[in-house]
Amino acid sequence: MRTMNTKYIKLFGLLVIAAMLIASCGQAATTVAPTAAPTEAATVAPTEAATTAPAAPAIDCMSAKSGDTLTVVYQWSGSEEESFNTILKPFEDACGVTVTAQSTRDDAVLDTMVKSTPPDVLFWPNLSPLKLYSDKLLALDTVSANKDNYASYWIDMGSAGGKWLAIPVKADVKSIIWYSPTQFAAFGYTVPTTFDELKTLVDKMVADGNVPWSMGFNNGGSADGWTGTDFVQDILLATQGPEYVNNIINGTVSYSDAGVVDAYTTYKMWASDAKYTVGGADGTVNTKFLDAIYKVFSNPAEAMMVKQSGFAGGSVAGQFPSLKYGTDYDFFEFPGVKGLQGGADFMFAFSDKPAAQALIGYLTGTVGGQNWAKANFGISPNKNADGNYTDPQSIKLSSILSKAAGFTFDIGDAIGAPFNNAEFKGIVDVVQGADIKATLTTIAVAQAESLK
Amino acid sequence: MNLLGHDLYAPVSFLAQEVGDMVPKIMKQGRLAPWLYLLPAFIMMSVFIIYPTIGTLRLSFMDNTGTNSAASTCVAGQACWGVFENYRYALTNIDMLHALRNNALWLLLMVPGTIAGGLFFALLADRVPYEKLAKSIIFMPVAISFIGAGIIWRFVYDFQSGGGAQIGILNGIITALGGKPVTWLSDPAISNFSLMVVGVWLWAGFCMTMLSAAIKGVSTEILEAARVDGANEWHVFWQIMFPTILPSVVVVTTTLSIIILKIFDVVYVMTGGNYGTEVIANRMFNLIVTNTGRSTALAVILILLTIPIMIFNIKRFKSEEAAR
Repeated sequence: MRTMNTKYIKLFGLLVIAAMLIASCGQAATTVAPTAAPTEAATVAPTEAATTAPAAPAIDCMSAKSGDTLTVVYQWSGSEEESFNTILKPFEDACGVTVTAQSTRDDAVLDTMVKSTPPDVLFWPNLSPLKLYSDKLLALDTVSANKDNYASYWIDMGSAGGKWLAIPVKADVKSIIWYSPTQFAAFGYTVPTTFDELKTLVDKMVADGNVPWSMGFNNGGSADGWTGTDFVQDILLATQGPEYVNNIINGTVSYSDAGVVDAYTTYKMWASDAKYTVGGADGTVNTKFLDAIYKVFSNPAEAMMVKQSGFAGGSVAGQFPSLKYGTDYDFFEFPGVKGLQGGADFMFAFSDKPAAQALIGYLTGTVGGQNWAKANFGISPNKNADGNYTDPQSIKLSSILSKAAGFTFDIGDAIGAPFNNAEFKGIVDVVQGADIKATLTTIAVAQAESLK
Repeated sequence: MNLLGHDLYAPVSFLAQEVGDMVPKIMKQGRLAPWLYLLPAFIMMSVFIIYPTIGTLRLSFMDNTGTNSAASTCVAGQACWGVFENYRYALTNIDMLHALRNNALWLLLMVPGTIAGGLFFALLADRVPYEKLAKSIIFMPVAISFIGAGIIWRFVYDFQSGGGAQIGILNGIITALGGKPVTWLSDPAISNFSLMVVGVWLWAGFCMTMLSAAIKGVSTEILEAARVDGANEWHVFWQIMFPTILPSVVVVTTTLSIIILKIFDVVYVMTGGNYGTEVIANRMFNLIVTNTGRSTALAVILILLTIPIMIFNIKRFKSEEAAR
């Protein structure tokens, strides 16, 4: 009996330790912000208030009182979370509100939270909460959001059932092409401004013996092909326009429509022939998407252009530290697009308490937009952000975004599974030689099924 | 702590006493007693095996969210199997047909391949003085996780387009010999076999260990007698050694078959099921988030495919016990 009992004691001890660990982990996850906030508020606020207060417009705290608390959920972590915290800090300092943040990428975690204790404000990189929690979300115009600071297409995008429920706080632009200005100058190429000019340029490069494109599908197995579907979507935005793309997303235009077939035909020619892209079809399918970027800026360069989102600039800078942005590498808007393709992080409100309203008012207002730009955290769709970026790539991206006539999500992301899987698989098959019409018909079946 | 011990056992002894009073004194244990002994194991089984299995079975007849009957997902004018709609998907969808075909391929090629490899190494190792070292090296991949193996072999199969140097050892060798680099993982004609090689590499060591132990158990007298009688090594192996180790071969075959039916990690890491390499478990994983019904239907199919092998295993085990 004695040995039995010691075993129980040990087991019990282990359980206690495990319980403590679990408890402390839970604690740590939820109280990250408060531990940091009070000290910062105490030490930094007075000096900063003294130096910058006269210049910056005041933050409207509305009826939020000092000591109020606020819970937010977002997916950002690491440097992204830090950037967001620098944007939040002036608000926390000015209003004395403590923001408690939780970072998760898990839809299931969010779902559990929303169904038990929803956060006051949610930031999410897609609009799925719009469908899932439409009965719990509050209309943003009732919680002090400033509609006037956003282009109308943003409001339309975030509206459901006649209510405005979501507004993007951060956008990423995908419709850009990276190139080397030095190479372009050496061969006498000029940056194209229409889709036809792009096609002419591509043919000219081939005639000169240069390889125009560098393409890479390899994403490490899962989601191989997303760089291809991004490219096709930009072709669609140039040849058909944003409304057409949005109609694909809502299902009124089938993915096997003639316009899509045309886009795939152009893309297949560029992506599967060694004259047009590095290594032909095998190169496109097997090259890792990061390597595809490097091939344009390596010495000697293997290709003239690569279509890739804004992050490519950072990748090039990391791989080739000696290259300079603006001369050795630069980007231009995908020629002729009538609207942009990209991603956005949206803000949703679950609570109308004063602190939540103050935060929403801040982020959608003048000061919030300016501070977002100063943090160089993606591009803010808030009109007040323009002119406040310090990073040259952000300045250029923001000018592209601010004159955009529309904005479309990645079709695959927006429609979801099983469409996105079929789309990725389909473009790989097409580049490997499959019949375009037959492949698109299969994808269209998945499109209809996903939208059911 | 006596208190704790007392509290824990009191209800059991009390119940046993109760039962004991009801039956003739000669059977002190009572009919309920064995069930009480089984109770802890039964509770564990119920919570972790029986309940989830029933739950899975139930969900496999539901729609993508697990709330309505699968019959509600039928599209008018198209084939429909009613509540078996998810099973219709599992058995007729083109991607699923590929997955089923590939699982069969894995079973038919990888299991014999691994056993042949393992047996080959076991026989060779049996005849060399540095047996332990040789076996350790062959066994090493067993210690590597599937994920790790997948990553290692992605490097082995690496393909560089354009002017890039081939950093993958296979394409490195091929280009050094003047050949053209091969797209091992993205060419649908060979990608499945490329993945199976990884599986064989991972499991040959396991087979070798099991079979080597069996080979050691073959009586040397019989082997020597056969050799004295003039049998060559080929005959010694097929007429004496192989029949003797057959039970071990069967054990290894059934164990591997179950493992291979569930093959997932290698495929997920190396191709993600693209390029014609889809398998049932990967399909199940991809669907679990978006379509619970279909995903669980695949899980049920995997269970159904595994059960005959397990029954066979148990039967064989029982007959072996009986023969002892």
